Amino acid sequence: MSDSTDFTDSPASKCGKCGLCLAVCPVHRLLMEEQASPRAKIQLIESYNRNKLPSSPYLKELINRCLMCGTCTANCPSGVDHYSHFMDMRQEMAKEHGDRIEIKGLVFLLAREQRLRLAAGMAKFGQSIVPEVFQKKYRLSNIPLDKFPQLNKKPFRSVVPEEIPAKGKELGIVLYFTGCATNYIYDTTGHATLELLTAMGYRVRIPQQQTCCSIPMLYHGGIEEARKNIEQNLQCFNQSDVAAIIVDCPTCGSALKKEFPAIMKKWDKDSNMAEAISTKVTDLMSFIYDRRDNLKIDEKKAATTGPVTYHAPCHLKNTFIPADRLLRELTCIDFIEAADAFDCCGGGGTFFYEYPEISTKMAMQKIAGAKKTGAKLWLTDCPVCRINLSGRLTAADNIKMAHPACYLAGLLRH
Amino acid sequence: MLSSAIKTELIDIVTKDRYLDRPEELACYSYDSSLDESLPDAVIFPLTTQEVSDILKIASRHRVPVTARGAGTSVCGAPVPIHHGIVLCFSKMNRIIEVNTKDRYAIVEPGVINGDLQKALAPFNFFYPPDPGSINISTIGGNVALNAGGPRCLKYGVTVDYVLGMQVVLASGKIVRFGSRNIKDVTGYKLSALFCGSEGTLGMVTEVILRVAPQPETTRTVMVTFSELDNTAEAVADIIGSGILPVAMELMDKMTINAIEDAGRLGLARDAEGSLLIEVDGIRESCEREMARIIEKVKQHGAVTIQEAKTPADRDKLWAARRQAYGVFAKIAPDILSEDITVPVSKVPEMIRRIREICTRHNITVGILAHAGDGNMHPLIPADRNNHEEWTRVIKAFGEIFEAAAALHGTLSGEHGIGLAKAAYLPLVMDDDSREFMTMIKRAVDPDNILNPGKFV
Repeated sequence: MSDSTDFTDSPASKCGKCGLCLAVCPVHRLLMEEQASPRAKIQLIESYNRNKLPSSPYLKELINRCLMCGTCTANCPSGVDHYSHFMDMRQEMAKEHGDRIEIKGLVFLLAREQRLRLAAGMAKFGQSIVPEVFQKKYRLSNIPLDKFPQLNKKPFRSVVPEEIPAKGKELGIVLYFTGCATNYIYDTTGHATLELLTAMGYRVRIPQQQTCCSIPMLYHGGIEEARKNIEQNLQCFNQSDVAAIIVDCPTCGSALKKEFPAIMKKWDKDSNMAEAISTKVTDLMSFIYDRRDNLKIDEKKAATTGPVTYHAPCHLKNTFIPADRLLRELTCIDFIEAADAFDCCGGGGTFFYEYPEISTKMAMQKIAGAKKTGAKLWLTDCPVCRINLSGRLTAADNIKMAHPACYLAGLLRH
Repeated sequence: MLSSAIKTELIDIVTKDRYLDRPEELACYSYDSSLDESLPDAVIFPLTTQEVSDILKIASRHRVPVTARGAGTSVCGAPVPIHHGIVLCFSKMNRIIEVNTKDRYAIVEPGVINGDLQKALAPFNFFYPPDPGSINISTIGGNVALNAGGPRCLKYGVTVDYVLGMQVVLASGKIVRFGSRNIKDVTGYKLSALFCGSEGTLGMVTEVILRVAPQPETTRTVMVTFSELDNTAEAVADIIGSGILPVAMELMDKMTINAIEDAGRLGLARDAEGSLLIEVDGIRESCEREMARIIEKVKQHGAVTIQEAKTPADRDKLWAARRQAYGVFAKIAPDILSEDITVPVSKVPEMIRRIREICTRHNITVGILAHAGDGNMHPLIPADRNNHEEWTRVIKAFGEIFEAAAALHGTLSGEHGIGLAKAAYLPLVMDDDSREFMTMIKRAVDPDNILNPGKFV
C-alpha cells in the first residue's frame, strides 16, 4: 500500500485520534478503558494491517467487544468509517480464529430460509417441552430462558397473503421487508404494520423470496452466506412501481439502506440496483411520520392508554430518525421521554449473548431510566433491544414492551 | 518489560483486573491525539490515592517511569510514555466527591470527565467554566495537567483560575495537600497552581478542589462573516479594546470554514474569508446592549453577513461547526500539525498575516482558527509525515511560526501544553536561567526523574 497516494484506504489514516468517539461509545463509557474504544480498535486494526501486531484470539476479542451500533461512525468529525472497518476486521478474525459453535450455528441457520423455519419449529417444540422450572433457572446472557419471547406459532409470512389491498382509497404500493424477528418471533409487529399501512391507504406487497438481511452473518465472518442472501433480497425488492420499501427492524433497515450498496461496491459488483433500492428504504415509523395526516387515531382510546415512553435503537438513530418525533407529534397520547432515551441498551445483535456482564449493566441503566418516567408501556422498534430489555424486566417493574407499530395500530379509529 | 517481581508487587496493589500488559492492550495506551507514539510496559488503573501512593513507592524504588493518563485527548503528547514504564490511567478513579454551591466549590477525583461535572452542576444552576474542545471526554486530571482552556476562557479564565486546592502523590509516594476550599487563600505558596500545566512531571494529582460559578442568566450568540481576514482580526481587537468582554470570540478562516462545510454541511458561508463566532452572557439587558455594540463594531469593520442565533438549537449548530474544526482537518491529509501559539490580542491581525506569509513561502496549506479574543491561535497544518520533502517544509514553517509569535511578545502554548511537540522551542520564550529554575523544581520533587520523563523539563 502506498502511504502517500491513497491514505484513505487505511483505517487509521483519516483518524486524528481526537478521542471524540470515546464520549459516544456505549461500551467505552461503561468500561472507561481505551482498549474498548472505537479509536483503539482503529489503531489495533492499523497495527495488525501493518504487521506491527500479530493476529491473536485476544485481538479478536477486543475487536468483537463492540455493539456495532455505529454511533462512533455517525459522530466522527474526521469521517472515519469505523463500522465498515470493524466489519472487515471481524470477518478476518473469524476466519483466523473461528467463532463460538453457537454463533457459527446462527450463521448457518440464517443463511437458508428452510433451515431457519425448521429450527424455529424445533425451538418452538423445545420451548413447550422444557419444564418451567428449568426455564427459570437457565439463563442466556443473564436472561432467564422463560423471559425469552415465545416463537410465532407459524412464520408470519406463511400466514399472510403476498399482497394486501389498501383500506379505502389506494395511495400507492409499498414493499414490506419483514425481517427474521417479525417472521419468527414478533408476528404481532407484522400484523400491526399491515393494519397501519393499509389503513393509511397503502397496498402492501410482501415478496416471498425475501430472506435474512445477512447482517448477523457479516458480523461473524459469513461472507459467502451473506452474499447469497443479499443478492436474493435485491432481486425480489427490485420493483419499480412501489412508493417505498418498509422495514420494521432498524438493523435490517440499515442493511438495506447502507450496507447493501456499500457491499456490492466492495465486491466490485454492479451497485445500481442496490442504490435504487436504498433510496426507497424507510423505517416504518418515519414513513408514517411523513404521512401523519393520514393516521387516524382514536383520541379517546389514546387518552386511556396511560403514559408511554420510548427507547431509540442505535441503528435507527444512526441510519434513520427515531420514532420519538412521531410520538411527540401525537398530542393525544401521554408520551414521557426518558432522559436517556437515546442511550444504547447493550443488545447489539449477539453482543448481549457474548458479553452478558457489559450488556446487563447497560440494560439495567436503561430500565432505571424508563422507570423514572412512570410509564407502564415502553416502546422500541428493534427486536434485539426488546429481547434484551424485556428479558431483564421483572413483574415488579410493571412495564410492558412493544413495537410502536403495535401501540399505534391499537389506537386506530375504526 | 517490567520484571516479574515488580509486576507481582504492582498486581498485589490493584489486582489483575486493573493491570494490563498484553501487547494488544499496550498498543492502546501508546498514543494521544498528537503524532508521537511510544509503548508502555504496563498500564495500571488506580482507584484510590493510597493505591497511587503504593504504586509510586514501587516505581521509585525500581526507578520505573510513570506517565499519567486521563482520556488521552492531549494534543501535545503529554501522556505518551516516551520512556516506556508504567502508564497510570486515571479514567476509573472518577467519583465526584462533593458539590457545594453555597461555598462555590466541587471536589472531584482526577478521572471525572469535564462534561460529567457540568451535568452534576447543572441542577444547581452552576457550571465549571473551562471548556476544552474535548469537554465530553477529557478528564479533570488531564485538564489540570495541561492547564486546559477553551473558547469561553476569554471571559472566565483557564483551569488554573479554578483550582482552589488539590491532593497530590509525590514521586516518593508521599501524599501532600495544597490549598483549601476557600476562594481566598494566601496561606503559603500557591502550589496547586504549580501543578496546573505540569503535565504529570511533578506528581500525581488524586483529588482536586475546583471553584465553580453560577450560570449566567442568558447568552446571545452571533456568527459574522467578512470579506477580508484582516478585517476579521481587526474587529476582534477593536471589540475587546472598547471594553466589551464576550464569553468567546472564535475566528475561522476560509480554509477552515470550507473544511467544516465539506464534512457536515452546516450552512456556513463558503466564500467568506473570515468569520467570527461571538457570544456574550450575563443579565438579559446587558447582553442585549453588548450585542448591539458588537454588531455596530463588526459593521464598521465591513461585516458581510450577521447571523444571530434565535433558538438554543441555532446556537448549538453554530457551536457544533466550531467544535468540529479540529476533527475535520484530519480528513484532508493523513497527519495534522496543530499549533497553539498565543499573542496579545492587538497583535492578532499581524500574527495572522505572518502565519499566512510563512506558509505561503513554504508552499504549505494552513487553516487558521483562533480563540481570537484572547489571542490564542490554532493554525492547523494538514500534511503527510511520510512525504519527507513536504514534512521538512512543514516543520520549518512550524518553527518559524513560533519565532514570529515570540517576536510579537507571544508564547508557545495558550492551552494545549508543551509535551513532546513543542519542547524544542521552549528557549524561544524562556531563557536559560528561567528554564534552569524549572529544572531545579523538578529535581527537588522528583530526584530520580521517574515522573513523565522525556518531556519539556
